[in-house]
Amino acid sequence: MKNYLSNIWVTAKTVTIGMIITFKHLFTRSVTQQYTSEELPEERWKSSIVPDGVLQDRSRMRLHVKIEDCIGCKQCEKVCPVDCITITTEKREKTEAPLFAADGTAIKQKVVQFDIDMSLCCYCQLCVYPCPTECIVMTPEFEFAETLKSNFLYRFAKEKPAPPEPPKEEVAEPVAAGGS
Amino acid sequence: MSTQTQYKDLEPDETYAFKPEDLEEGEMILNMGPQHPSTHGVLRIELKTDGEVVNDARPHIGYLHRNFEKHAENIDYQGVIPFTDRMDYVGSMANSLSYAVAVEKLMGIELNERVECIRVIVSELQRIASHLLAIGTYGLDIGAFTPFLHSFVEREKILDLFEWLCGARLLYNYNWVGGVSHDLPEGWTGRAKVFLDQFSPVIEELDELLSHNKIFTARTATVGIIPPELAVGYALTGPNLRGSGIKWDIRKEDPYCGYEKYDFDVPVGQGRYGPIGSCWDRYYVRVDEMRQSVRILRQALDQLPAEGDVHESVPKRVKPKPGEAYGRTEAPRGELGFYVISDGSLIPMRVKGRSPCFVAMSIFHEIAKGEMLADMIAIIGSLDIVLGEIDR
Repeated sequence: MKNYLSNIWVTAKTVTIGMIITFKHLFTRSVTQQYTSEELPEERWKSSIVPDGVLQDRSRMRLHVKIEDCIGCKQCEKVCPVDCITITTEKREKTEAPLFAADGTAIKQKVVQFDIDMSLCCYCQLCVYPCPTECIVMTPEFEFAETLKSNFLYRFAKEKPAPPEPPKEEVAEPVAAGGS
Repeated sequence: MSTQTQYKDLEPDETYAFKPEDLEEGEMILNMGPQHPSTHGVLRIELKTDGEVVNDARPHIGYLHRNFEKHAENIDYQGVIPFTDRMDYVGSMANSLSYAVAVEKLMGIELNERVECIRVIVSELQRIASHLLAIGTYGLDIGAFTPFLHSFVEREKILDLFEWLCGARLLYNYNWVGGVSHDLPEGWTGRAKVFLDQFSPVIEELDELLSHNKIFTARTATVGIIPPELAVGYALTGPNLRGSGIKWDIRKEDPYCGYEKYDFDVPVGQGRYGPIGSCWDRYYVRVDEMRQSVRILRQALDQLPAEGDVHESVPKRVKPKPGEAYGRTEAPRGELGFYVISDGSLIPMRVKGRSPCFVAMSIFHEIAKGEMLADMIAIIGSLDIVLGEIDR
């Protein structure tokens, strides 16, 4: 009988303590951010612990390639653990005018295909470090949801591949990168 | 052996599942999962029940298998780290740390003090984040919704700190072989200290809200009892072992990253509301560990050496000599080890992960016997399993 009553007393006491704590939190500021139905704060996400918001320079979201600076060394393609980058290069003719990347590296390869499948990307940033001209970067852009999976294939190459030798009437399109 | 017979060998073992003809009178086979919200992932448990009482249990795993170990045999050493992050996805920092420790042992890399201190800071923050999730969802499983929200508010702050540090919220790729990917940004340590000051009262609040609640203790303190001998016999590690009253912590017994420099206690289960080794003990060891983590973090943030390049010992090409190494760390869920064999090439010959959750799952059928059906949720939650690590 004594045990029975003490059980009731302890239950009532501990539940009341819990209710008091919950009640206190009724008067604190809301922490939830109703993203998509609420406007985003100025360009950055707010955070109670990080002073300037969390979307900073180190953010690892969508990949971007400054294709003008790419020298076609394929180092990012080699290091990618999920093989989401596909690069095809052709040798530049000696008769063409010399090209240089932003840091002065001579561009000797013509990048005819630079495809990144963002649906395969694992956002590890391993491709960014070996790039000698710092042309592949991760941007703080994260709102790039798509309804079709094929739209995640980003094609960065601007140069057209040289037409294949025998057939002269048709120009071959760049091969769609599948990745695996 | 022909290809056909090879595939036949890979077919699921039918003898493992319960058979209807073996049932006693009044018994029933009940499938729990794989889509059950309280199994923390995709875990199917076959239960042989007699009314409300569970007579036997068989866990079926493999629904989240992603072939990590075979993948690791085809990528270079650095490329394995994003895959280790995806093993235990709520404690990624601890996973990559364990792998990095193993490869560094293989290559004989010595780290400078700043890198070691940063690694201690991030792994302790990760431990707090992981335990907050474990505690919050455990309350949710038992029926207390409010502590879950409170713990997630705090966990969010840690994830914000990590995002500020390395740009990712859950899968960091932060611990590299021979260093870490980014140095601490300016003002990071100051904000981390602000977080610790905010966080210490919250542990006490969570304690009052959930730990000593009579409804909670009544549901957890008398079920799922693991006696110390059984815990050692099944090679449990981490909070599951310490909940049974055995003082064993890799940070104390086999220190890595300079853990011997920090002053902290190893909390063990006391059996406060029931027999020792109950679900409540395992739960409360996690609460106590968060307090100890805060202690370690305060010391580490004060001791952090100002000088030191975090990329100092990062090798240009990770190419260990032929050999093998086993690196182990105290992850939030127990002893996480990686056994790496090198054949001298750029690609590891074999990477084997020793998952603490897999070991914790193997004891489940022992402690489930004779318990009530509703207590299964309490037992699974108290083991704090993550299926991403079990199936790998």
